[in-house]
Amino acid sequence: MKNIFIKTTGLIMTGLIIANLFVVISGIVISDEINNFEKKTDSLHKVNLTLEKEVANLGSLKFAQEQAKEFGFTNSTAPQYIDQLKYAYVK
Amino acid sequence: MKIKLIFLIFIAFYVALVVRLFFLQVLYSPSNKSVYLKTNKLNPIRGRIYDQKDQSLVLNQNSYQLYVEPKKVKDKDKLLHLLSESLKVEEASISPKLDMSKDWVAIASGLTQEQKEKLDKLNLKEIGFDYQTKRFYPEASLSAHILGFLGKDSEGEDVGYLGLEGFYNRDLRGLPGFVETERDIAGRPILIGVQQRVEAENGRDLILTIDKNIQEISKRRLLEGLEKYKAKKGCIITADPKTMAILSLVCLPDYDLEKYYLFNENFYKNLAISDLYEPGSVFKPLIVAAALEEKKIKPSDTFNETGQISVGEYNIKTWNDKYEGKISMTRILEKSSNVGMVYIGEKLGNKKIYNYLEKYGFGQNTGIDLEGEASGYLKPQNNWYPIDYATVTFGQGIAVTPIQMIRAFASIINGGDLMKPYIVQKIVSNNKTTEIKPKVERKIISRSTSDIIRKMLVSTVENAEAKWDRPKGFSIGGKTGTAQVPIKGFYDASKTIASFIGFAPASDPKFLTFVVIYEPQTSIWGSETAAPLFFEIAKDLIVYYNISPTQ
Repeated sequence: MKNIFIKTTGLIMTGLIIANLFVVISGIVISDEINNFEKKTDSLHKVNLTLEKEVANLGSLKFAQEQAKEFGFTNSTAPQYIDQLKYAYVK
Repeated sequence: MKIKLIFLIFIAFYVALVVRLFFLQVLYSPSNKSVYLKTNKLNPIRGRIYDQKDQSLVLNQNSYQLYVEPKKVKDKDKLLHLLSESLKVEEASISPKLDMSKDWVAIASGLTQEQKEKLDKLNLKEIGFDYQTKRFYPEASLSAHILGFLGKDSEGEDVGYLGLEGFYNRDLRGLPGFVETERDIAGRPILIGVQQRVEAENGRDLILTIDKNIQEISKRRLLEGLEKYKAKKGCIITADPKTMAILSLVCLPDYDLEKYYLFNENFYKNLAISDLYEPGSVFKPLIVAAALEEKKIKPSDTFNETGQISVGEYNIKTWNDKYEGKISMTRILEKSSNVGMVYIGEKLGNKKIYNYLEKYGFGQNTGIDLEGEASGYLKPQNNWYPIDYATVTFGQGIAVTPIQMIRAFASIINGGDLMKPYIVQKIVSNNKTTEIKPKVERKIISRSTSDIIRKMLVSTVENAEAKWDRPKGFSIGGKTGTAQVPIKGFYDASKTIASFIGFAPASDPKFLTFVVIYEPQTSIWGSETAAPLFFEIAKDLIVYYNISPTQ
């Protein structure tokens, strides 16, 4: 009877120790994952801001002006305003 | 026996552990929770600002603060040299910040990702970076006075100053959140411990009524105008006269939003909303509209313009001291006759003049959603002398802001409604979009009076004494103004504020533009400076809006 009690207690203790180890290791793994996800979220946020900046730059008038200057639009093609558009409608 | 001994030892260890924990957690619990409890502030992202076509005007950008831990520094001279080279800053300006007695010192803030990566490659153990965000302006200082800038308050927190950043600071800044987690010695979260997270509420985005293309046209033209007419400063406001939605607002000189701290405070002042000046002749149509509304005059009524007139001890004359005899009310506007305006003022009566000045909103804030608006000053009626009633009819002796002037003018051409000017048309948060609708403050004149004054203003442009290079085929209405600048109680004839306010197309105005130029040197007259500048802008806007010719 005494032996059975000791063996059962030993088995339960061993089981608990293994379960505890499993929980602790799982906890550490999950915690590491949480840490990694936090870092990745931060990094994505930063990349997002950088991309937003690049998109805005490409759509800006400043960029359009630089491009126009680079391609020589402003040198060769000064805008001509049509003062008397009504002639365009005369049939 | 052996088992009992092991059991007792185990019990003893267990009791010792419990006692130790009791000491640590109850009797001498650490007052500094940060030992095990990590609380991070979750900073909200400040709201972005877009123009009416969702083109970005203000965004957020990654930024880093560089710090040094002086206790870890082994070779100060080498560190200074490396930092100076990487940051392109003189060693002499870094050296005073590097206080070796401290644990942590900030060296530079606002560093870009590229600068950080460059410093990272140096593998310096004694330096580190704190992440921050900073404002980024894709169109640089195109709308400096509208946007305002982001500075710091006395506690080092971000706070918006002037313009939209100041006016909408509460909406833009958002609400910070926090995350509180118990961490182990390696900094990993303890899953069964405290885990509390309150999300930050990001700032709201602003969608403006501003059209950045019109803003660009206005700024480019104003810059050209100031150079051409050798003027000190100037402003151009363009609005939709029906709603008083501001389409562009530019004042020069302005400042670089990213380096606002390098500029004198005078550059921050938005002249369009905070500078008081005497409007001069652009004011005349307001008085004529009031007289028409009160049925004191008709456009075809005549006035005998024979010469100077006296009001008390003062003589009032026309700008060129020339007189045409019998002229119509429309002709009074066309030739901008001060003498004729005094006649119209007399017909209207002093009480009505004052009532209409109040109705037009002079002496009160317009309520435009920009920080820094001045209300102007309309002195109490019991302090008015007869000469004041005479001079106010041609826009002298009264101080107004350009935004008050354009709002009042809009009311006489839009059917008679005094509108509240506004720049933000939508406020967008994560789950809600609030639209800001045009607001009618009050009715000033009837639609029929408004139709009459619009026609008179078209005639004023077409039959003005000055001939301008107008876009042909389009009916444009408007009025010039030249106001002398009062200095120590006297007017300096050489210093004027030249202006022109105009709209097109006259039958159903799409835009109303007000040009003000301070102290032009090539000519003191609005007709020779502000007016040509207006017509240049009008040509651009007619093309931009694809307005068809009507004449």
